[in-house]
Parts: sequence; C-alpha cells; structure tokens
Amino acid sequence: MIAVVLMLVLLGFALFAAVSGGQAMPLAEILALTGAFLVFFGAGVYVAAVLGLLGVLIGLTFSDRPWWAFAGQTLWGPSSNFVLVAVPLFLLMGEILLRAGLSDRLYRALNVWLNRLPGGLLHTNIVSCAVFSAISGSSVATAATMGSVALPYFNNSAYSQRMVLGSLAAGGALGNLIPPGITFIIYGLITETSVGALYIAALLPSILVTGLFILVITIHGLRHPLPKPERLPLALKLRALVDLVPTLLLMLLVLGSIYAGYATPTEAAALGVIGAAVFAAIEGKLSLRLLNASAEATARNTALLGLIIFGAYLLNYLLTTINVPQTLAAFIGGLPLPPWAIMAAILALYLALGTFMEGFSMIITTVPVIFPVVQALGYDPIWFGVMVTMLVEIAQISPPDGTVMYVLQGMRPRPGPITDVFAGVMPFLGAYLLAVVLMMIWPDIALWLPRVMG
Amino acid sequence: PASLPAGPKVTVVAVTQPLPTQPQYTRVDIPVLREAVGQRSGGRIEVQLSTHAERNLSGTELVRLVRSGQTDIGAATLTTLSGDVPILDMVDLAGLAPDIGTAKRIAEAMLPVVNRDLERFGARLMVIYPFPAQVVFCRAPFASLADLRGRKVRTFGNSLVDFFTALGAQPVSIGFPEVYSALERGVVDCAITGTGSGVAARWPEVTTHVSNLPVSWALAGYMVNIAWWNRLDPQVRAFLEGALREVSEKQWELGAAATRDGLDCAIGKADACRIHSLATRPMTEVPATAADSAALREILEKTVLPGFVRRCGARCGEVYNQVIAPISGIRFGG
Amino acid sequence: MRGLRRGVAALAAGMAYVAGWNYLACAVFITFDILGRSFLGISSAATVEVTGYMLAGGIAWALAHTLARRAHIRVDVWVNRLPLRLRAVLHLLSLLLLGVFAAFCAWAAWSLVDESILFDAHDNSALRVPLVLPQGIWAFGIFAFCAMILVLMLDGVLALLAGRPEELDRLLGSRSIDDEAAEALEAVEMARHP
Ligand code: NA
Ligand code: NA
Repeated sequence: MIAVVLMLVLLGFALFAAVSGGQAMPLAEILALTGAFLVFFGAGVYVAAVLGLLGVLIGLTFSDRPWWAFAGQTLWGPSSNFVLVAVPLFLLMGEILLRAGLSDRLYRALNVWLNRLPGGLLHTNIVSCAVFSAISGSSVATAATMGSVALPYFNNSAYSQRMVLGSLAAGGALGNLIPPGITFIIYGLITETSVGALYIAALLPSILVTGLFILVITIHGLRHPLPKPERLPLALKLRALVDLVPTLLLMLLVLGSIYAGYATPTEAAALGVIGAAVFAAIEGKLSLRLLNASAEATARNTALLGLIIFGAYLLNYLLTTINVPQTLAAFIGGLPLPPWAIMAAILALYLALGTFMEGFSMIITTVPVIFPVVQALGYDPIWFGVMVTMLVEIAQISPPDGTVMYVLQGMRPRPGPITDVFAGVMPFLGAYLLAVVLMMIWPDIALWLPRVMG
Repeated sequence: PASLPAGPKVTVVAVTQPLPTQPQYTRVDIPVLREAVGQRSGGRIEVQLSTHAERNLSGTELVRLVRSGQTDIGAATLTTLSGDVPILDMVDLAGLAPDIGTAKRIAEAMLPVVNRDLERFGARLMVIYPFPAQVVFCRAPFASLADLRGRKVRTFGNSLVDFFTALGAQPVSIGFPEVYSALERGVVDCAITGTGSGVAARWPEVTTHVSNLPVSWALAGYMVNIAWWNRLDPQVRAFLEGALREVSEKQWELGAAATRDGLDCAIGKADACRIHSLATRPMTEVPATAADSAALREILEKTVLPGFVRRCGARCGEVYNQVIAPISGIRFGG
Repeated sequence: MRGLRRGVAALAAGMAYVAGWNYLACAVFITFDILGRSFLGISSAATVEVTGYMLAGGIAWALAHTLARRAHIRVDVWVNRLPLRLRAVLHLLSLLLLGVFAAFCAWAAWSLVDESILFDAHDNSALRVPLVLPQGIWAFGIFAFCAMILVLMLDGVLALLAGRPEELDRLLGSRSIDDEAAEALEAVEMARHP
C-alpha cells in the first residue's frame, strides 16, 4: 500500500512537473486522475485496463493532438516486435520440460549429491532451481516447474515447511538472473545494450546470490540439525549424474549457440524449444497431448502479458507525447545530490514499485524514463541492467505481493496460511538485498567479467 | 530568415532522427530548428524537438505519424518509409550515387516527383538530406566486394538485400539491437551502415575491416503535415521555410564531412576524427577498387533496378528513366 | 444464454490452440533459419518480420480464451474480501472497464488495417508481406476478445438480475490459488503417467 501511495505521488509529481512549465498547475485534473487510478485499483480492475484507460484519460486531459489516430500503431509496434518473441518461446520450453518429466530427473540426481549437507534437501531446492534457471529465462516458470517437482519430496518430512517454501521461492527468483533471462532481453531491447554482455555480467552476481542462499540454509541446518540419510555408494552417486545430462545439454544448446555465434539471444530460445521436444521424444513422452497442453498454457500466459503490454505502451505513448519522461529525467538528473544518492533513490523506487507491480510491465514502463538519467549520472548500462534484474527478482519474492510466492502457495500439498511463505522467504530476501548492496559498493562484481572477456 | 514580426505564439512539434546522440540531431536540429528558430522569431515560435528513440518509434511509421497530426514535422530515412510509399526507395537505390554530389542532384530532382505520391496521404517532403555513406563493416579481412561472396551480411531494406544477393553474399535479417552482439559472436560476418553510425554503435570493437565504397547514402527527409502547413500564418510559414532551407544546407555539409570523419574515427586517425568518437580498436580501411565501382554499377542495372520496378510498378520505371537516368547514366530496361 | 457463452468460449479455446501451435511453428521456423544460415548458406531474410507477426497474432488470438479461463491479471486482494453482492457488482464494473479498453484497442487496430489498405503497405523484408494480412489477423483476435467480453457481460448482468451473484463470482472472479495448483499438479501428473 505504501508503494501505491508512493507511485501516485510520483505520478502526480511527474504530471505537475510536465505541465507547470511556468503555467498554472492543473491541480483539479491531477487530483481527478489520481482518484480515478485509486478507484480502478481498489475495484480490482484488470491491470491492462487500468494502464490503458489511464493513458486515454491523460490524452483527453493534457494532449492537444489527435493521439487516438496513432493508437493502432502504438499497439502494433510492441505486439510484432521480434525481440519479444523470446518470451513465449521460453515459456513453451518450460512447459514441455515439465510435462516430459525432465525436471523431476534433474531434482533426483542433484539430491543424491546434496542431501547429506547440513540443511539437506533444502540445498537441492536451491541448486536444482539454479540449474533449471540456466536453461529457462523466466522466474515463474522456474518456481512452478521445480516447485511442483520438489514439494512431494517433503511430504511428512521433519523439514520446516517455512524453509521449504522459502527456499523454493528464492530458487525461483534466480530464474531471470541466471542467464538466459527475459528481463535481460527486454532491457537490452529498450536500452540497446548487448544481451550477450548482460548475460556475462550476470554470472558472478548470480553465483554470489546462490552462494548466499546456500549459506542461509547451512546456518539454518546447523541450528536445527536433522538426522542425515544413509551414505550412498559412490557408484550409485556417479550413475545419478546421468540424469543431469539432458539439462546440461540443453544449457549447452541455449547458451552455447549464442556464444559460439550460431544464434542471437532471441533465437536461442527457439533452439531451447526444439531441444526440449527432442529430449521429450527420447524419453518417449512426446505426444500430441503433451504438445497441445504446452501450447495452450503458453498461449494463455503470453496473452496475459500481451494485454498488459497493450495498456503499458498506450500509457507510455501518451506520457511521452506530453513530455513526462523527459521532464522527470531532467528533474531527477538535476537534483542537488551526489550520483550515488540519486542511484540509491532510483533503486529504492524500484524496490517499492516491485512490491505490487508485475516485473515485466515495471521494466517496460520505467526503464525508458530512468535509463537516460542513469547514463547521465555516469553509471554503466550493463551494471544497471543486472541491478534492475535483481530488483525485479526481489519484487517477485517480496511480500505482500509476488507472483513466485503465489505460485508456490498454490502448489502446497498440505494447506497452510500464505504467511508461511512470507516468513520462510524472509532470510533469503535479506540475502538478496545484501547482494544488491554489495553490487552497489563493488560494481566490479558485475563488470569485471565482461571486461576480462571483452 | 532574420526575424519575424510579433504575433500569436506558435508551438511546433518535430520528431527527427533515430537517436538523440546523432550529429544530425546535435549539430543541426538542435542549433537550427530549436535554438535559432526560437531566438530569431523572438520567442514567437517554439519547436518541441525529440527523436524516434525518445518517442518509442521504429522509424517505419513516420508518414503515418505526420499525416495523423501527432507531429507537425517528422524526419526519417526514405527507404524505411518505402513500405508505405514505395517510390521513396527510388531516391536511394544501392549503387545509384557513387559520390555525394550525385546523391544531392538526384535528391533535388526527385523531391517534386515523390511529393506527388506523398501528398495524397496528407504529408509533404520539404527537404531530402543524407546520412554518412553506407559502407560494409566486416569481422574478417576483405580486399574487394567480390570477397564478400558466401559471407553472412546483416542488411535491411529491399534494394540492399537484392544487392548483396547479387554479390553472392547471404543477406541475414537480424533486429538492430542485436547486430552488435551478432557481429561480436559471428552470427553475421558483415553488416552495412553509415560510416559514422557504425562508429557510434561501437562496431569497431567487434569488426576489423571497413570498406570506403559508398553503397548508398541513407537519404532521409523532413516532412510536414500539409493541413497544418497550409493553416499557418503566411509569415510564419515563410520563416519556417527559411529555417528548413538552412537545415538542408547544414545537413548536406555534415553528410559530406561525416562520411570521411566516420572512416577516420574508425581507423583511429585521431587528428581527423572530430565529429564522432575515436575507435578504441582501430580498423583497417579497405579502399574501393575500379572493379568494385564497376560491379556496383552492373548490379544496379541488372538486379537492383529491375527488383525495384517489380515492387513499385511499371510507372516507377518510367519515372526513373525520365528523372534519374540522365543523372546516373544508367537506364532501366537498357 | 449459457449456450451462447459456451459456444463463444469453445471458439476462443480453438483460437488459443492455434495461437499456441503458432509458437511451436515459430520455434521450428527460427531453428531452420539458424541451421540454414550456419550450415547451408540460406536464410529467409525475413525472420525478424515474420516471427514478429506470429507473436502479434498469437497474443491477439489467445486474449479471449485467457479471459474465459479468468487468467488476465487483476489487483484483487481487496475485492475478494468484500461481501458477495458487492463483489459481483465490482466484477461487472471491472469487466465493463476492460470492455471499454478492448473496444478502443479494436477500433485502433481496425484503423491501422484501414490505413495499411489506403497505403497498400508492404513490409521492408525480402518477402514484401502486405501488412493488411498480419494486421488483419491480429485485429480479428482483438475483435474476438471484444465479443467474449460482451457475452460474459450479458451473462453476468442476467445472473445479477436473476439474483444469482454467486454464479457471477464463479464466472468472473479471479482464478483461485486452487486453479493454479490443480494445473501445475496436472502437468506433473502428465510427466509421470503420459
Ligand atoms: Na535463466
Ligand atoms: Na512483490
């Protein structure tokens, strides 16, 4: 709720800054708009409709141009943008892998190696999510896939339910940060930054975050020791590694094709789909029914994002026509504060927005406005791309509103309040925030690797 | 135009150039259209200037943007607009103008001709201007155009696709944001763009050799919304006409200077690199040979022109022979 | 009325399956293009444009089905705590506003198609696709979305007038967590017993 108020204040301020170029401030209009926005959200109106109708209202109130005559082009542009094609392709790959049972094999194989550490199966949650993230570019897909695979293993176990849910949510929130990732592709599209460089830059930060998660679990495991399972013979453990092969090959296919120069980051997602289908066929699970179910789920999830993009771009077009982003960027850039303070304010803003906004639409609506400021402050676009992605991921596991947490809550075999998930994810949220602070202090965590490899 | 008599204030919205960092924007549009117009009109005319990127436009939709009255003045590369108005492609076919002087004569001859088509849609082209020469950047050495045979070349627009196909190269379709990484990783071997644009997009970091043979000029134009233009106070209209004339002169000067400057910046000639920024990894300049120029002319006659007429219609072939053939020296249909 | 709703929903589901298979086709197309240019020296030279059109069509054609499955995102934490009757009215209000937005989008999409007809516009790819084709297919999907909203709205109003707000809640209320869970478990089930 705090975030909603913050955003309204910001929006009102932006409108004020844009319109009051020496003229009288149209206070009544701004208040009316803010009020309409509040009513929309309060009444549970569809997010896309809120964004789109807000755009229409702004157009009617502030623009003296026939802006509606260009609305078709405004909607068609992003709908037919080839870079966004990666979104349905990653979703499709995840759906096929899940239904073909490859994710389940991945989990079991890792478990054989990790279950004797202090914290046991919880480590498997994090590591299997991290490995799955290296083939899938979506956090929700990661949490949904690995969550539905992992949760049955904890039935009637002595593990803390909170930690189980928390670790899976945190693992899901690695989905976009560990390359490949849709957030990077979108960010690269908006800011014309190299997606390949973003992927490389994200490598060390994602290892850092994963490491911090493992640390959290180890500490928990040491403080709440559980009986360890039997030590397995090495031969058995080695044989389990075979189950990792499909996942590793897919990883090689998706990331390898980019770095070997066969495919662009967008195109690599298509190779992932074909690869997933081939492995499903090898497993003997590729059927018309599987493809049909995967196609339907992909179409539905893409349409859901597509409608939000319609609204977001319409709003964006009208805000741009009345010069709001330009004015806001100039204002933030001109604040009498040192660059790091402005950057901290920007990051705090993202953190606040993220508690209630969907990550994807958050990027589309805010990065075009914020990015010029970031550049003017002298920050590296690659570093900022990694930071934004981390903040989007944090947004998805920060209570009270986060898609990844909702997905997990929905899959619990034993019912319980959602506060279990909230409580469980807290230590991991703290670890993620610590990583953001470390990145702020030592930007080289992200920038060192691209520099060495470039 | 020196001054403008007092009168009611006029606000003009103009969307020009793809990126706010381009010299065509910082060295011409901002100083002339925004600043000089404001000052010399005594503040009577205010031009609200922005670029395609800031308005989230791809460039292909500029005719529609202008005709719908979203902007009063709009500028864009003519070939990107040719999907809507095919005849615009004729001004800038691959191989048509070996030097910028020829490009300018063709542009001047074509301006009234293309306006006959454009005005049906409520827009009028006021000025045609060049970007730096479009040249080939490659990540491996080449000595002449013939060496491009078999290489993957990132292209855009029909006439360039025809051109590289005729060379035996393989045209590849990749979105602009991905070209840098595509060159870096070898998804494509070569790409074509303006000398200065390539330097600005940091292509010298990912390519090694650059040709100095102008394949085309990325000719672009400033359009106005006719209804708005005719509604203007005649004095204001005359004033703006003067401003656009000045823009035209400056853009052609810049086009000539920026072509060589882009190459000098790419090859690391620090003393000659004034407009763009110096490449950190200097490239090798591949000088055009007589054989290259001959090949360019031949491909124009045998492949590019027939392809264009097929897309645009027989009428375009006649217009070409009437207006451009006397300048280029190559007739369509022999 | 219920028959009409079911009919439209079935049609919408059919369109969504087309949209989903279109993404599979898209993956195959891109893969062929990668293999072609890497190993055979051929490329469609129109991949960017064509896959873009496939995305646009895919989004538009699945909009209606997504609504029928109650999967479009709403901010509904607060609404779901209200008494049933008030909640039913708010559901209808939300749908009405979505309808206004969708109708605007449909009108805008139609104007775009109309403008492309006027220009006889083609894209700049090697295939020179007439823009009317992809834009028309896209606009059709948005029109189907409007039809779905209209039918749901009629059904909802009738349910409210007949004093059956719980039916309206079932029709329009957002997907409960149980729906999501059932779906995920179904997918895992498919993996274990194909
Ligand atoms: Na990932
Ligand atoms: Na959140």
